[in-house]
Amino acid sequence: MSLDRERCLTCSDEAVAARVESVEELEAVIAVGPATERVAIDLVPDARPGDLLLCHAGIALERLEDAS
Amino acid sequence: MRYVDEYRDPALARGLAAEIRSLVTPGEVVRVMEVCGGHTHAIYRHGLEELLPPELELVHGPGCPVCVIPMGRVDDAIALAETDGVTLATFGDMLRVPGGRGSLLEAKARGADVRMVYSPLDALALAAQEPDRHVCFFAIGFETTAPATAVTLRRARAEETPNFSVFCNHVLIEPPLRAILETPGLRVDAFIGPGHVSSVIGTEAYDFIPEEYGRPVVVSAFEPVDLLQSIAMLLRQRADGRCEVENQYTRVVRREGNARAVAAIGETMEAREDFEWRGLGVLPKSALRVREAFAAFDAERLFTLPGARIEDPKACRCGDVLTGQIKPWECGVFGTACTPERPLGTCMVSSEGACAAFFSYGRLRRPREEAPVGA
Repeated sequence: MSLDRERCLTCSDEAVAARVESVEELEAVIAVGPATERVAIDLVPDARPGDLLLCHAGIALERLEDAS
Repeated sequence: MRYVDEYRDPALARGLAAEIRSLVTPGEVVRVMEVCGGHTHAIYRHGLEELLPPELELVHGPGCPVCVIPMGRVDDAIALAETDGVTLATFGDMLRVPGGRGSLLEAKARGADVRMVYSPLDALALAAQEPDRHVCFFAIGFETTAPATAVTLRRARAEETPNFSVFCNHVLIEPPLRAILETPGLRVDAFIGPGHVSSVIGTEAYDFIPEEYGRPVVVSAFEPVDLLQSIAMLLRQRADGRCEVENQYTRVVRREGNARAVAAIGETMEAREDFEWRGLGVLPKSALRVREAFAAFDAERLFTLPGARIEDPKACRCGDVLTGQIKPWECGVFGTACTPERPLGTCMVSSEGACAAFFSYGRLRRPREEAPVGA
């Protein structure tokens, strides 16, 4: 059991901003640090590679405004 | 790191702290409640209270989803986990929350099949991988987490998964806020609104706070500069004689929220008549249950649960902490009988809980004479 205080252990998946690497139907591969994870994009279905998404508990909740 | 570094800039933080000091009146205390447990965690982790003048008091609110789950619901989850053929899956922190019969982790040690997952979709995948087991997801969380459960229920129905269900304990943010606002002798002057809940329900969901209760709200992000800016925005409202809902988290949150997420919740779940909250008692229409259309995936329809109401341990004052009546260190068992390793109350379990956050980051800075245990 991790006692990591840096992240929300409620879902072990604090809502984080993550860049989309690729999209396949209703799943996106996002970059989380050096690793990648898969998230459902049912609620942000028009997500595209390069977008920044707010992700929580395995799904993307919202697209972030990206000023870069 | 983009979206982190610029919100932890020391010069920006010092500038905002100076602005906050200029906006308070000596001797006149302004009490600001941060509703969300994520904010509580960030405040302690970054030592923000050290930057604030004594006239600005932060009060910790009820927004940690682990902390508000009553012991009886934990016992119901344990009963599910101990049912033959059932695998209970849930988020990490829920494994450690004490119920009347111990925790899910202790039930696992006794032989129950309890698994930790990061997402309800992982629990659904587990059901597909293990067709001989019934996988039940113990769902908790506010409107931030409910969309993930909603998407999972939709997929379970679409995929006709026969061995998956949800034990639904999702809660809503408005009822506890109303309960706090209607507390006799309320000592909260302004609110820092939750950020990620608001990405779903929008800032318009808090209009009732200034309109009906005359308190300003600023929806805030979670980095130190965000929180300091939100406090400054609240104080500027007071200085200008304004009382409204403002949005500091504009990079994510829109006034109307995410309509798709709200629709997904509404399609799969509906408000319960009432729900027991730790520290707040039974609140009407304050939680969600699975809709009839998804009854095949509703653990409460598929299984008989004990459904008992269990009183919190008398020594535990989580309720007073959750409603901002006392600070964590004012609880008699804080840091002694109740620690993150052996939590007595839920506020000490989750890293978002005020007691765990203060235990981890705040207690060493506060001289003991200012923090009388059990005061």
